[in-house]
Formats: sequence, structure tokens, C-alpha cells
Amino acid sequence: MRKILNKSFLLFTVLLLVVLTACSNNSETSGKKGDSKESGKAVEAKIGVVSYLTGPGAAYGEAITNGFNLAKKEINAKGDVKIDLVVEDSAGKQEQALSAAQKLMSDDSIVALLGPTLSTEMNVVGPEADLNGIPIMGTSTTAEGIPQIGDYVFRNSLPEALAIPAAVKKAVDKYKVKKVAILYGNDDVFTKSGYDTMKKTAEKMKLDVVTTETFQKGQADYNAQLTKIKGLQPDLILCSALYNEGAVIMDQARKLGIDVPFVGGNGFNSPQVIQIAGQAADGLIVATPWFGDKQDPKVQEFVKKYESEYGKKPDQFAAQAYDALYIMAEALKNAGEADRDALRDSLAEIKDFPGILGKFSFDKDGDVVMDPTVLIIKDGKFQIFE
Amino acid sequence: MLGDFLNPYYLQVASFIMINIILGLSIYVTLSSGQLSLGNAGFMGIGAYTSALLTINYDMPIVVSVIAGAIVAGLVGILIGIPSLRLTGVYLAIATLGFGEVIRVFMINWESLTKGAVGLSGIPQIGRELLKVSRDAGFNPLDIGLKNNQYVYLLVLIILVIINILLIWFLVRQNKSRVGRAFAAIKMDEKAAEAMGVNITYYKVLSFVQGAVISGFAGALFAHVMGYISPADFSYHRAVEILIFAVFGGSEVIWGSIFGATFMTLMPEVLRFISEYRYMIYGAILILMMAFRPQGIIDVPLLQKLQLSKRRGKHGSKN
Repeated sequence: MRKILNKSFLLFTVLLLVVLTACSNNSETSGKKGDSKESGKAVEAKIGVVSYLTGPGAAYGEAITNGFNLAKKEINAKGDVKIDLVVEDSAGKQEQALSAAQKLMSDDSIVALLGPTLSTEMNVVGPEADLNGIPIMGTSTTAEGIPQIGDYVFRNSLPEALAIPAAVKKAVDKYKVKKVAILYGNDDVFTKSGYDTMKKTAEKMKLDVVTTETFQKGQADYNAQLTKIKGLQPDLILCSALYNEGAVIMDQARKLGIDVPFVGGNGFNSPQVIQIAGQAADGLIVATPWFGDKQDPKVQEFVKKYESEYGKKPDQFAAQAYDALYIMAEALKNAGEADRDALRDSLAEIKDFPGILGKFSFDKDGDVVMDPTVLIIKDGKFQIFE
Repeated sequence: MLGDFLNPYYLQVASFIMINIILGLSIYVTLSSGQLSLGNAGFMGIGAYTSALLTINYDMPIVVSVIAGAIVAGLVGILIGIPSLRLTGVYLAIATLGFGEVIRVFMINWESLTKGAVGLSGIPQIGRELLKVSRDAGFNPLDIGLKNNQYVYLLVLIILVIINILLIWFLVRQNKSRVGRAFAAIKMDEKAAEAMGVNITYYKVLSFVQGAVISGFAGALFAHVMGYISPADFSYHRAVEILIFAVFGGSEVIWGSIFGATFMTLMPEVLRFISEYRYMIYGAILILMMAFRPQGIIDVPLLQKLQLSKRRGKHGSKN
């Protein structure tokens, strides 16, 4: 028995040694990065980014990091604050997100974290960041309860709990809605939490929910659910779906002759819907923090710069990331030093910050206070819904 | 100071390695009696959800709930094992894979209990709970120069290492016992083993249930290390990942799955500096391995060679 114990001890020592050697390499490189910037009296800060760069959702991570990089360039050019970004990949997995965040947090020169991309990742990373006293800000985490994790957890992405009620309210007022049908994907965190908000909103507004139907990710035929919905004749359909399923649902619904408007969640809000569903996409109402065609010079300037830099139009993820870094820079400027606790306090005080998404403030939990823009697809284009 | 040596990042990666080793062992046990089961992700989910729900809803101590998670996974293992072990080879693999998916769909649809696809958050984390306990006892990790997260993950890692050593010790012992010999005999040839008087049904179910208990245990630990679980964590991808641990490292010997789990967890972390390309390398390594060493990196001849050279080395030093 002793032999076996010895052997396994040996094995574990070897494993730990391997881990430690890996560490020495990495800390060297990060040390070099820290030395390279020594100038002026501007606040210099290193900010860690955890982003979804590999895997099926890599498009989100790419847009987000593009947004960060564009903002970083502008902020550094201005010179009040000098920001250095350290980007790590999470591959959309909780373990990887936690490892990446842990790696960034253990570097004492990093004052704040931006990301991770998914709410599921934030649920794991948030408590850890809070325990270590490093401010963390989600730029795309919309699920409920994220900033409530702790004092150090913030977000600037419009939560579903704000977006969906705004869209539903406007639609109800305009079309004098009484009966609604709800359709949602029940095997995805995003669509499920969107449904929870829809249900709550419908109850609060005393709408009559005639039926609640579910579907699964990757489903291709929604005729069973839609036929049932059609028979009940609702005035409005609340549909919590991601754009790829949502577009197909709208297409099939219009073919069945359902012509009532749809209200979607944040995941439904994508120009892809129009590409996939074409004419059938008309009548989709979504609330969004971001509207690229807004007649605001700031917004137009951002769109132009982003397009010339990356060759495509920015989506809401890029816009939210862009604003997030500006908010960080503002907080750093107010704090006057690159210190984690000072940064947290000055972040909490951010109020009416004029970003490209509109006026932005944090509430007492670190959640978003802002007015979303409600959009409708009309004639194959997103337009402001009045 | 101690604090300078312990980077919480490495402690945490090491903790994930430990959990993955347990998962690798769970599939090794069933493979050692010649059964290919892909239901380990499902059992892992059962363990994780049982343990998490017990601690959240009934305030059970983590130790008790983790063991309960493993036991429940084992009980389900018996229920599933008895009928499905009439199948062999690919058919068993498909049946158990199906079982894993059924478990996942259960977790999604039993919303009143599992909160559906949103998942369970706020699960007590082993390290943070211990941090609270030690603070209440008047001990502050700062006194020995450790930051909170260093202390938390150091404790987690120590606990996991101890569990791993015990588990490996048990499995190595078992391999040399009557049970282990019976497993090996069944793996070689079921008919011959039966003719020699081995109760093959009993031993097959035993190895299947052992696999279920171990993966349930790993799942429960996973829940209490991550602090958040959702059905997506226990999907088909997880089952394949676990299988890769054993297949890559070598499924014939226990050290194979340990090596496989270590290597496969460590590699994406070590390759972080090439960010986007790291998973390409992951895939490339798997393909190369299958082409040149289909039995896995570590197999019996390799171990014998290592042992021989070690003995020679010892001999040489004496002279």
C-alpha cells in the first residue's frame, strides 16, 4: 500500500510541477507588458477582458473585443486615461471563463475586469471577483440577478427585465392588446429567462395569456405550436427566441396567416432576422439599447469609424462594449488612480453618462438605469416604433 | 511568503484537473470490465443536482450532500445498469448516451425543482464556506500571508488531491483483488469468464455502478467548486470530453485516464497565448493520436518499459 501511496504522491507532485512551470513562463510575459508604459501623469490602468473568442458563439466575442479595441484607441489618443487591455478567451464555458478570470485577477496590476460574454459565465465568475475585490462589468450579460451577486459586480448591458416590459408596453398601447400568446425556447438560458420576464410582464399588465408554447433549440417545424396559437386568436405574440429560430418562426407564422405583431427579447434583435425571414419579419417589435440609424452625430461617428476599422456594421454587442470601456475610463479619471477599490466606488457613482447608447447610470446594485429604444421592423428595415 | 508562490490561477486549473481525473477514472472503471458507457455525463449531472439542491434547499453540510449525490447517482446506476447491461459494445454506448440526454431533458423540464435551463446559482462553494468557517474560528488567511482567493483554492485543491489519492489507491487495490481479476476476465472474453464461474452479470453491474458513483461524486464536487450549474454542463459534449480523457491517455491502465484528464485540461490553458488557434491544436493532437497511437498514450508495454528502466536505474546506482 505504501508503494501505491508513494507512487500517487509522486504523480501529483509531477502534475503540480508542470502547472508551476507553466506559470513561470506566463508571469514573465505579463511583467514585461507592465513595464512598457511609464509616462505622464495620466491614469494608467490595465483592464482584463474575458471574452467568448472560440466556439459557436465566437461572433459575439469578436464584436465585443472590436468594440473594446476601438474605444481603447480613442481613449488613449485623448490622453486623460491610458488603458491597456489584456484579453483572455473563455470558449463559452464556465470553467474556462473562471480560469481566465482567475488568471487576470491574480495579476495585481489589473484593476478591473470586463466580461465575460455569457450570463452563465458571469454567474460563476461574479462571486469570485466579488470575493477578491476587483470590479467586474458585464457588457452582454442580460439575465436577471447579475449585479446583485455583489458590490463589485456591474453591468452596462440592458437587462431583459427592462427591455421586454418597455417593448410590450408600447405594443399594448398601440394595438390595444388584450390577449397574448407566449412562445419560447425552454432549453436555452437566454430564451428561458426572457420567457420568465415576459410572463411577469404579462401578469403585471393584466394581459390574458391564452397559451404558452415551447420549442427546442434547432427545431425546424413550428406548425404545431403556431396552429394552436392561430386558433386562439391572440392580439400579440410574445416570442422569446434567438434570431435564428425566431426568424423561422415568424416566416412560418406569416405563411399560416398569423398577421399579429411579435414582441421579441434581446436575442431576437438582429438584422439577421430580416435576411432570413424577409417580408415575414415585418411587425417584429424589440426594445434595444442600440439603434445604429439613430440621428445622433455620436452614434453616426461610431458607426463610421467601426465600419472603416473592421469592415462591417457594429451590432449592439460592439456598441455596449464600446460604451463600457468609456464608462471605465470615466470612472478611472474620477478615481484619479488605478486602484481596485477606488475604481469600484467611482464606478458606482457614474450618473447620466452620455454614451452612444444614450444616458447611462448605475442603480444601487450596479444595474442599468436607462431608457431603451423600441424598434419595429417595417418594410424590411428596423425603424423607431412610436 | 507563502502567498507569493501560490497563484490562484494555477491552483484553480489544478483543481479542475483533479475533478477531471475523477471523471476519467469513472469511465476507466466501466471500461475495465469491457463496457463502453457514455452515460457518465448524466450521472455527473445527477450527482451535481442532488448535492446542489440538498445544500440550497435543506442547508445540508457539503460533505453529507456530496456523498448523497454520489449515492443517488449510484442508485440510478443500478436501475439503469441491470437492464441495459444486456447490451454490449456499440449498443450499450448508444443506450447510455440516450440515458444521458434523458437526464438533461429532465433537468430542463422539471422547472419547479431545477429552474430549467436557467440553472442553479448560489450553490455554496467548498472553499468559500471553509473560509467563512475559519473566519468564525478567528483565523484570518491574511495572517499567514494568503489572499482570500489563494486560501480558498488552496483548500479546494488540497481536498481534491486527498480525494484523488484515496480513489486511485482504492482502484489500484481493487485491480489486484478478486473483483479486479473478474473485471479483466470479462473484458478479455465474457463467455470464457462465465465458463470459469465468474458471475458476469454481477460484476458487470458492479463496474457500471462504480462508474456511476464516481462520476456522481465528481459532479457533486464540480457543483460545489463552480457554485453554478445548468443542464448544458452535462450535455453530450461532456460525455465525449470524458471519453476523450480515457481514450487519449490510454484506456487499458488506470494511469492512462489520469494522464489523459491532466493533459486535456492543461493544454487549452497552456496554449492560452495563441488564443483563437488553441482549439485547432487540440483537434490536431487528437487526430495525430488516433493515427499513430490508437490505444492511447499510456499502455501496458510503455508502463513495463518505464518500470524496467527504473529498476535498471536502481540497480545501477547500487553498483
